[in-house]
Amino acid sequence: MKKVFQIALGIIAAIGGYLDIGDLVFNMQAGAKFGYQLLWALPVGLVGIIVFAEMSGRVAAIAKKANFELVNERYGRRLATATLIASLVLTFLTLAAELGGVGLALTIFFDGPEQTFMLIGTVVLLGVCWYLSFDWIERLFGYGGLALLVFVAAAVHFGPDWHRFGDGFVPQAQGSTLYWYFAVGLVAAAFMPYEIYFYSSGAREEGWDESDLGLNRANAIIGYTLGGTIAVGLLVTAAQVFNPAGVDPSHLGTSLLGAQTAFGETGLILAIVGVLFAFGGAAVDTAFSGAYNLAQHQGWEWGKKAGKPLRWDLTWIALLIGGYVVVATGIDPIELTEYAVVLSVIALPLTYLPIMLVANDREVMGEHANGWLARILGWAYFGLICVLTVAAPILLIATNGGGG
Amino acid sequence: MRRRVLVLVSLAALAWAAGGCGGPIEHDELERAVSTLGATAAEGRIVALDVVEDRTKTTFVRVHGKALQTDVEHLAEKLQDAEAKPDLVARKRAAVRLAKDIDAALGDLIVAPSDRRVARDVERRLDTLAHRAENLAEAL
Repeated sequence: MKKVFQIALGIIAAIGGYLDIGDLVFNMQAGAKFGYQLLWALPVGLVGIIVFAEMSGRVAAIAKKANFELVNERYGRRLATATLIASLVLTFLTLAAELGGVGLALTIFFDGPEQTFMLIGTVVLLGVCWYLSFDWIERLFGYGGLALLVFVAAAVHFGPDWHRFGDGFVPQAQGSTLYWYFAVGLVAAAFMPYEIYFYSSGAREEGWDESDLGLNRANAIIGYTLGGTIAVGLLVTAAQVFNPAGVDPSHLGTSLLGAQTAFGETGLILAIVGVLFAFGGAAVDTAFSGAYNLAQHQGWEWGKKAGKPLRWDLTWIALLIGGYVVVATGIDPIELTEYAVVLSVIALPLTYLPIMLVANDREVMGEHANGWLARILGWAYFGLICVLTVAAPILLIATNGGGG
Repeated sequence: MRRRVLVLVSLAALAWAAGGCGGPIEHDELERAVSTLGATAAEGRIVALDVVEDRTKTTFVRVHGKALQTDVEHLAEKLQDAEAKPDLVARKRAAVRLAKDIDAALGDLIVAPSDRRVARDVERRLDTLAHRAENLAEAL
């Protein structure tokens, strides 16, 4: 049982990263629009994030440095500050969207004023972050988010065409700009920078050392594979329910409808519980990531295990309250994630480069430096991340934000 | 998200046309708006079907139904305001009628989210409306 609890960090980072409110709807749209054809994009992103999460956890365990401490070390002051600003804006916008998502999910469950539920959600999250230890926070949101496995069960329940399902893992030569917009979006969703900030700082919170390298590998592989499997479940459910009916999901409610169509009210309730924990987990990921980054950039004390350092505490509290203020203006949380994606373009390569540079460095990492396979995969995926950063905004404009 | 952006793009284009700044509504803009209406009708039909089979929560039907209805209302208003070239006038009117009918069907479902008889009627109406949208989009 203890070992099961030990992979909570990987699960919360993966579910918060893969299944934030924007991704949940985006995966459904990809399945509704293209059936099984875009399945291949999910393992492409999955392998990449496993490679980088494993590297960042290993660096945290051996070099005792979290991601933003590496950014400070490897970049000049100006570039480190630019990375900080990009990451803070990105995490803040995503945080606001997640708080909106929590409010929406509560509204769907209870019916009532959305703004009130957003406020209640924010207050509950503030309380949870303040009173619970880091271990219990990651367990609560990581394992609670696993209720989203209902979408995997739904995908199987509908009896997918396994031949077409298998074909979906082979990329097709497509001339459609919209197809590539969705392909790039599905791959990029795996690399949202805040999940890696949270993962590496979380590893430091848990005090990982050389003896935890196996645990790190298990967290990266099992946690992210669970997140990726749920993403596959969402896409395949949409391919079977929404694609034939001509439905084009654009609301959180449409995603929930997929689970309801399979298992009725029980499916709906499980899906609502799953999104509540997933969005709540993503809100904690982003609030803490912002606070970790600022503290690490400024050289402040940080982390729950550091005995509640004042400046770190004030930062995540301010981010949560600020996020609520943004979403209380009435802005659509799903639209907000679109702005966040555009901003992630700046933060993506700046986030991932220092992890690889340090993980490759034998002077710092000793015998735990990247081997040949990790180096090849690392550079290949870093190249892919650079391509994504260029392609994503171009495709966003070319397709009117996916409007075709 | 895609449809939400699609709705916004359609609304922006329609608002531009309505304001007399961008000229009358084009074929592709109207086609996009009709496709969005068809997708909304199809989705509303699935929600209604789950009410018929007693497989849902009243709160979900009400909240999600309202979200779909809001999209349709905005499109209906903007289509109504948009100018159309002579060859598109009839089809634009048909699109407005379609939007109003979908709006009304969703409204009935929201008012009685646990009434299976009403839901059966709404399901049939939305099925017909989804097909009407398909035919109208093809004609464009």
